[in-house]
Amino acid sequence: MDINTKLLKKNAFRVTKKRGMTASRVRVPGGHLEAIYLPLLQNIAETYGNGTVHITSRQGFEIPGIAFENMPQVNELLQPIIEGLDINQQVPGKGYSAAGTRNVVACIGNRVCPYACYDTTGFAQRIEKAIFPNDLHFKIALTGCPNDCAKVRMHDFGIMGMTEPQYNIDRCVNCGACVKVCKKKSVGALQEVNYKVKRNADKCIGCGECVLACPTRAWTRGKQKLYRFTLFGRTGKKNPRLGEDFIKWVDEDSIIKIILNTYDYVDSYIDPAAPGGKEHIGYIVDRTGFEEFLTWAMKDVQLPEIAEVYTPIYWKGVKY
Amino acid sequence: MGFYFTKDGMNAVLKRLMDEYLVYAPIRMIGGGAFSDTNSVRYGQISKISDIIFNQKSEYSFKEILLPLSQTLFFFTEDQVKEAEAPKKGAIIFLRSCDLHAVKRLDEIYLRNGFEDYYYKRLRENVKFILLGCQNPFENCFCVDMQTNTIDTYDASIEQAGDGYVMDNHCNAWESLLSSHCLNQQDVQPSHVTETGVHVKIPDGLSIDAANSKMWDEYDDRCINCGRCNFVCPTCTCFTMQDIFYTDNGKVGERRRVAASCMVDGYTDVAGGGSYRKKNGQRMRFRVLHKVYDYKERFGYHMCVGCGRCDDICPEYISFSHCINKLESVVKEVGDNNA
Amino acid sequence: MHNEYMPYLSEIKEVIKHTDIEYTFRITYEGAVKPGQFFEVSIPKYGEAPISVSGINNGIIDLTIRRVGKVTNEVFERYVGDKLFLRGPYGNGFDVENYKNKELVIVAGGTGLSPVRGVVEYFSEHPQEVKKLILIAGFKTPKDILFLEDFERWNKKAEVILTVDQAEEDSTYQVGLVTEYIPKLSLKNVEEAVAVVVGPPAMMRFTTQKLLKTGFLEQNIWISQERKMSCGIGKCGHCKVNDTYICLDGPVFNFTKGR
Ligand SMILES: Cc1cc2nc3c(=O)[nH]c(=O)nc-3n(C[C@H](O)[C@H](O)[C@H](O)COP(=O)(O)OP(=O)(O)OC[C@H]3O[C@@H](n4cnc5c(N)ncnc54)[C@H](O)[C@@H]3O)c2cc1C
Ligand code: SF4
Ligand code: SF4
Ligand code: FES
Repeated sequence: MDINTKLLKKNAFRVTKKRGMTASRVRVPGGHLEAIYLPLLQNIAETYGNGTVHITSRQGFEIPGIAFENMPQVNELLQPIIEGLDINQQVPGKGYSAAGTRNVVACIGNRVCPYACYDTTGFAQRIEKAIFPNDLHFKIALTGCPNDCAKVRMHDFGIMGMTEPQYNIDRCVNCGACVKVCKKKSVGALQEVNYKVKRNADKCIGCGECVLACPTRAWTRGKQKLYRFTLFGRTGKKNPRLGEDFIKWVDEDSIIKIILNTYDYVDSYIDPAAPGGKEHIGYIVDRTGFEEFLTWAMKDVQLPEIAEVYTPIYWKGVKY
Repeated sequence: MGFYFTKDGMNAVLKRLMDEYLVYAPIRMIGGGAFSDTNSVRYGQISKISDIIFNQKSEYSFKEILLPLSQTLFFFTEDQVKEAEAPKKGAIIFLRSCDLHAVKRLDEIYLRNGFEDYYYKRLRENVKFILLGCQNPFENCFCVDMQTNTIDTYDASIEQAGDGYVMDNHCNAWESLLSSHCLNQQDVQPSHVTETGVHVKIPDGLSIDAANSKMWDEYDDRCINCGRCNFVCPTCTCFTMQDIFYTDNGKVGERRRVAASCMVDGYTDVAGGGSYRKKNGQRMRFRVLHKVYDYKERFGYHMCVGCGRCDDICPEYISFSHCINKLESVVKEVGDNNA
Repeated sequence: MHNEYMPYLSEIKEVIKHTDIEYTFRITYEGAVKPGQFFEVSIPKYGEAPISVSGINNGIIDLTIRRVGKVTNEVFERYVGDKLFLRGPYGNGFDVENYKNKELVIVAGGTGLSPVRGVVEYFSEHPQEVKKLILIAGFKTPKDILFLEDFERWNKKAEVILTVDQAEEDSTYQVGLVTEYIPKLSLKNVEEAVAVVVGPPAMMRFTTQKLLKTGFLEQNIWISQERKMSCGIGKCGHCKVNDTYICLDGPVFNFTKGR
C-alpha cells in the first residue's frame, strides 16, 4: 500500500496503530452544532468506520476504524457537514483542506450559561472563518467568563469574556450583595463608600458577578463586548505552561487581527526544519524576542481606549 | 370620552403633554438584563408612543417614579438643612390595572399611615395615570383572584388598536387636546383580563398563628435573601435613611433614603447585635403574611395586587403564588396543633 | 405642606454623666411631649437615632443616651452650647391616666428606666394620684446605675427597690434580678394593680411572666417595645411587627397587644 501520510494528515485523517486503518476528524468550531448532523456522523461511522465515534478533547468528532481506501467516500459524506458548519474549503467534496490549525474550542457561552459575557460559539465561528484552512499548528480557545471553563490559558490564544460593569448610583440601595459576592467569589474589587459602591477598575476582572447579584439593576453590563486575551499557553513535552495575560479589555476585531498577524509572524520565523512542521509559537518568540513578536502582532491593530496591554510578558510553567 | 388616534396623532398628543409632564412607561432597555445580550423591560421616560412596550410586563414596577430607589431628602452643612428640590414638571405614568391598584397601597402608607410623607406627596400630587389595557394575562399574573384586574380611577386609558391607539379619557384638562388630534371619537372601554393562568386562594381563618407553621422552614435553604421580590413589588414601600458627607467637602452632605427589603440582612438589626427573623423562612413568612394577611388586618384590603413580578424575578424559582396556595394547609396544621 | 423629615435645632443645656457610656443630655424643646415618646435625634453626616425622652421640664427635655454606634458616638462629642437636630416627638408614650388610683409597679431594666422616668417623676410629684407606687430598677453592676440622685428623691415618695445583677462583696446594693422581687411585693389587690415593664427584651419577657404568675392581669401590664426604626413615622417599615407599627402604635403597648 502506498499512502502519502503527509497529505492524509493535512486532509484531517490520521495514521493509527492499526496498519491500513485511519480515523476521520470532524471539526466543530465553537463546539456547538445542529443535531441534524449527528445522523450523518452516525452514518459514516456505521458505513465506513467501526460503528463508534470519539468526542475529541478539542470538541470535534473522530470516527475511527476507516480503511485508507474509503477516505474519498468518507470525504464525500463529510461534505454536507463541512458545508453545514460553514468550514472554509479549497476543493469541494475533498474533505478538510488543512488540519494544522486546530478546531477552535469554546465553552457553551451565553446561548445557555448565565455567567457568559458573550456568544462564545459565534465568536469561535468568526475566528474559524478568518484563519482556516492553515497548516500552522495554532490552538485557540474561547471561554465566556473568567471562570475559564474552556481552560483557555492552555492554548496559544486564550479569549476570556469580560463585562465592564456599569454602575447606576441612583439605583443602588446599598444592600451589599455585590460587595459580598465579589469578595467571596471573585477578586474583591468592590468596596462600600458612603453607602454606595466603589469599583477598583484595576482589580476588576470583569466577571460580572456584581451584575448577576444586583437585585435592583444598579449594576448592568457594558455595551461593548470586551475580552481578556492570553498568549501562548501550551501543554506538551518540553515546557508546559499557562498562557499569560496579553491584553485586558480588548475587542473582537483586535483579537482577530492579532491572530492573523501572528500567522504572518510565524510564517516568517518558524524553524523550517521543525519536525512535522510543528514548532510552538512560544519557542519562536524566545528566539526572536518578545518585542519582535509585538511589532508583528500589533500591526494595524486599533485597540479600544480602555485596553491595557501587558508587556513584556514572562512565562513560567514546568521545565524539563 | 373615547378617541381613536393614528400613530402620528398620538405622538402629537404626547409631544404636547411633554411640555408639562415627564412621561414614564415600560420601555425596553437594550442590554439591560442581568445576563449578557438580554434586554429588560423597565420604567423609563419615553419620547414617542412606539417606545412603550405594550406586550410585556415590566420587570420592575412604576413605583420607582413615586418612590425613587435612592432619594435625597435634604442637604446640610454643620447646622443648616436645605430641602432637596422637587422635579419642576409633573409626571404621567403609563401602568396596568394591578399597578394602579398598587398606587392605593402606596398612598395608604405614604399619605395616611401616620404623618403625610412630604416627598411622596409632592410627587404624587402632580402625577397622572394612563391605564394600559390588558388583553391577555402574562405568565404568573393572578390579578383576577386579587380583584385588581379592573379599575376606573385612571386619568386616561390606552391600548393598541390595529395601527393606531384607542384612548378613554377621564381628565377634563386633556379633552380638547385629545379631540383635536384624534382621528375620530368613539366609545372606548379599556380591556381587562377575566382569567389568569395562575390562581391563588387566600384561606379564610388565616391568623397570625400561621407564623408557627413548619411550612416556612423550606425557605430557610431555598431563599438566598437577595430581596429581588421586594424591589420589584409595586406595593413594597420600605426604606432606610442614610446620612452621607461628600468626600470632597466633609462639611457638606445629604440625608437620603433608599429602598429597603425585609428579606435582606440588616433590616431588623438593633444596637447590641440583636436582630429579628434571622432565618430566611421567617423573612418569607413576614413578607407573605404581610402581603395577604396582616396588611388587611390593619387597612381592610390585601396588599398584594397579584402582578406576579416577585414570581417572575426570583432567581431561586420561589413562587409567591404557590406559597399563598400552601396557606390553606397551614391553617389546618396550626389549627390541629392548637387543638 | 409640612415636611416631617426636616429636623429642627435644639441646644444642649446640660450634660449629666451617669456612666462612661450613658449620659443624659438636657436640651431645649418647646412643645407637648409625654414620657415614653421618642425623638429622632440626628447629627448631619452621621444619621438619626430614636431616643426616648427621659425627663420633661418647662422648655427642656432630657435624653438619656447610651453610646453604641455612629450617631450616639457623635452625640457624645457634643457639649453644653452645642446643637443637636431633632424631629418628633413620636410614638404614643405612657398615658398616666391608665395608672391613676391604682397600685402601680414599675419594673425597669438598665436604660429601660429612661422612658419610664417621666412616669415615676409624675407620680412622685402627685403621690395622691396613685394608691401605691413601687419602682423596681435593676442594673448590671453598681457602675451602671442611672439617675442615682433621683433615687434618693424617689425613695421618699415611693417604695424603691434598686438592685444590681452583680456587685463587689462589700457593696451596699442589693444583689439580684428584678424578677426576684415581684412575688414579694406587698399589694392590696394584685388583680387591680397595674405594672409597667421596660428593659431589654429578655428582661421584659421574664418580668411579664413573673407578673402574670404573681396574679397580675394581662390587661394591667404595660410594656415599651424597641425595634429598629428608620423613620419613626410609619413609613419605612423597619419597626413593623405583624399588623403593628411600633413607632406609631407604640412603643408603649398594653400586654394584651404588645405580647
Ligand atoms: C423607640 C426607641 C427608643 C429608644 N430610646 C433610646 C434611649 O432613650 N436611649 C438610648 O441610648 N437608645 C435608645 N434607643 C436605641 C437607639 O435608637 C439606638 O441605640 C441607636 O439608634 C443606635 O444608633 P447609632 O447610630 O449610634 O448606632 P449605629 O452605628 O447605627 O448602630 C449600632 C447598632 O445599633 C443598631 N441600630 C441602628 N439603628 C437602631 C435603632 N433605630 N434602634 C435600635 N438599634 C439600632 C445597629 O443595627 C447596630 O447594631 C431607642 C430605640 C427605639 C427604637
Ligand atoms: S424569595 Fe427569591 S427573590 Fe425573594 S429574597 Fe428569596 S431568593 Fe430573593
Ligand atoms: S407580592 Fe408579588 S404578586 Fe403581589 S403585588 Fe407584590 S410583586 Fe406583585
Ligand atoms: S420606624 Fe419607620 S415605620 Fe416605624
